[in-house]
Amino acid sequence: MMDKTRQVGEESKAGARGSTPGGSGDGPLIVSSSPHLLTADNIPKIMHSVVAALLPACAVSIYFFGIRALLLIAVSVAACIATERAIQRFLGKPSTIADGSAIITGILLALTLPPSFPLLGAVLGSVFAIAIGKHIFGGLGYNIFNPALLGRAFLQAAYPVLITTWVEPFTRGFDVDAIAAATPLALMKFEGQMTPHLDLLFGNISGSLGETSAVAIIIGGLYLRYKGYINWKLPLGYLGSMAFFGGIFWLMNPSRYPDPLFHVLAGGAMLGAWFMVTDMVTSPTTPKGQWIFAIAAGAIAVIIRLFGGLPEGVMYSILLLNSVVPLINRWTRPKVFGEVSS
Amino acid sequence: MKNSSPLGMILALTVTAVVIGAILAGFYQLVEPRIEANRLAEEKRAIFSVLEGAETYDVIEREVPSDKKGGEIIRIFRGLDADGRTVGYAFIAEGPGFAGIIRMMVGLNFDLETLSGLKVMEQVETPGLGNKIGEEKFEGQFKGVAIRPRIEYLKNKKPVKPNQIQAITGATISSKAVVDAINKRVETILSVLGPQAAAGEG
Amino acid sequence: MTSQRTLFQEFKKGIWAENPVIKMLLGMCPALAVTNSAVNGLAMGLASTFVVICSSAIVSIIRRFVPGGVRIPTYIIIIAGFVTLADLFLRAYFPVISKALGPYVPLIVVNCMIMGRAEFFASKHPVVPSILDALGTGTGFVWVLVVLGSIREILGSGSIFGVTLLSERIYTPWVVMILPAGAFLSLGLLIALINYLTQRRQGAH
Repeated sequence: MMDKTRQVGEESKAGARGSTPGGSGDGPLIVSSSPHLLTADNIPKIMHSVVAALLPACAVSIYFFGIRALLLIAVSVAACIATERAIQRFLGKPSTIADGSAIITGILLALTLPPSFPLLGAVLGSVFAIAIGKHIFGGLGYNIFNPALLGRAFLQAAYPVLITTWVEPFTRGFDVDAIAAATPLALMKFEGQMTPHLDLLFGNISGSLGETSAVAIIIGGLYLRYKGYINWKLPLGYLGSMAFFGGIFWLMNPSRYPDPLFHVLAGGAMLGAWFMVTDMVTSPTTPKGQWIFAIAAGAIAVIIRLFGGLPEGVMYSILLLNSVVPLINRWTRPKVFGEVSS
Repeated sequence: MKNSSPLGMILALTVTAVVIGAILAGFYQLVEPRIEANRLAEEKRAIFSVLEGAETYDVIEREVPSDKKGGEIIRIFRGLDADGRTVGYAFIAEGPGFAGIIRMMVGLNFDLETLSGLKVMEQVETPGLGNKIGEEKFEGQFKGVAIRPRIEYLKNKKPVKPNQIQAITGATISSKAVVDAINKRVETILSVLGPQAAAGEG
Repeated sequence: MTSQRTLFQEFKKGIWAENPVIKMLLGMCPALAVTNSAVNGLAMGLASTFVVICSSAIVSIIRRFVPGGVRIPTYIIIIAGFVTLADLFLRAYFPVISKALGPYVPLIVVNCMIMGRAEFFASKHPVVPSILDALGTGTGFVWVLVVLGSIREILGSGSIFGVTLLSERIYTPWVVMILPAGAFLSLGLLIALINYLTQRRQGAH
């Protein structure tokens, strides 16, 4: 998604590939995946739209999980901004806080965390996301991985217990030891229980802040699509691929495997599809490449969900595909300048 | 360096190998007793830690049928208190964990109904998660747990029945591996000890 | 490498300027694999130092008698011999550490740092400089492994050399730091920091 971007609309053509990445960067050799049309005045505009698109999901999470959710979001955003500022001051680079990308990383990271997650842990994830996920690679536009997901992956490895400790919706207060809940995906994987689709759709389930209500995220995603900031191929390819591959197993054994609708509504599928797969910096630039990227990621997510050790595979599926984006771009490079077909 | 003639090369390698081999053989003779003593000491510590009240122990060796050809010799350590009465039996159980083989010493009370203790001796489970099977908090749960019909584990719940223990949060596979290995071994041990205990030796 | 260097320089270069881990990126396998605690790092460092000193000394002594065609196999036999000695010694006298290091003690055989010193230095230099060179390299290896082990142990277990610094009540250890990923992160950041400091010092001159 637009975690950070140097490109205007999504339909930027492949002909732009090979232009100097980022423009402002004067490093000698930069391997970067995206086209980088320089229209800096548009970045804040896009970013503000993305923040607006994330508001419904934030609001729903606060409705279900209360002040904890609000605090997590606020702390993550503040920590991301502070880290960005500190690093840019240290490196003597101009501040890019105004472009809003750090705010989005903060919100997205918070949305992937369980409501009971400690605030200090969220700070750690934010620092990791911005410092290691973004600035180690050279900052906005140069990063290989989605920073928010990288922060989440680090937290998953650092606090494997805390990040899989869930609470039921409408749990208030801070003592979470007493009430442990299971997410719909964990129920499916370990207990063989299915959660009703309506609950998944509206979010009356336990899970991380942003994976409870599918409807809130779809609203945000459609808004971004309406504004023209999201490439429809990516979320469609991702969700479609999850439904397709999930559906194959469902048809083979409906009593054991969940149905396709469950796959796209449960867990982080919606958040990932609309706001992370679509990240302009870390997704391929060619139309064919975007299909490959989205479909492969969806297939991997389903495989992890059904056969992996973890109940949820959205995060690793996207990170895994992020790492091969430069290759995908190379394979799918059109023979002539300009795009062959859309 | 000299020019390489085949004879020279063979000679150089042979001499090096023989000299190094001789040094190693000598050193091995020197330290072997200590390595064996370390192993025995560890075994002894584990036996006494799972058999409370034992002052000495003797070893029962029995051949039992197993997957391997010709059966398998198992060693049961019978713990005796100061008056020479049997307090329980200790034996080694091992099985595949999440990352590798888990090897542990299991203590069985003389009544052959409950465990008297558990000591994990070797394991390479994930640090911070699975390797908590080696912590007192987990091992301690096996003290007094009933072995019939079989030991069970619960996730995120406190045990309610005498034959249940609580799995480590986030490390169900390692917890299950421990329980499975014990259950499997207990069966074999009971088949060996059963008649003996019935004969009133306990 | 010239004969003009003093003996002290032969020793000193391995500690910083030609440090096997942070400058030459040799011996990565043990540096990443066993540094999940400071004491493991120290033990691995000392065992490797022992092997590199002994093997460099022997290689230097026999350098005139070994035909060029079989010098590498010869070095490997020598190194493997000393590694086995170190392994037996640890098992006999430090069984706990031996268990913690597991298969990584026998794997010292394939540590390029040791082969590197034998091939590039000891086979061309007299015994005393070879021993000093190996000692410096080993010292450089030890300090990096101890630093790495300390960082990972503090963050990953809240303790250092087994002594608890941060109680679990106030600090939840980052499990990732004692996992392989933590090794790569710590080593990468350590090398980045050292390169940054080096460049800044060069820039200041």
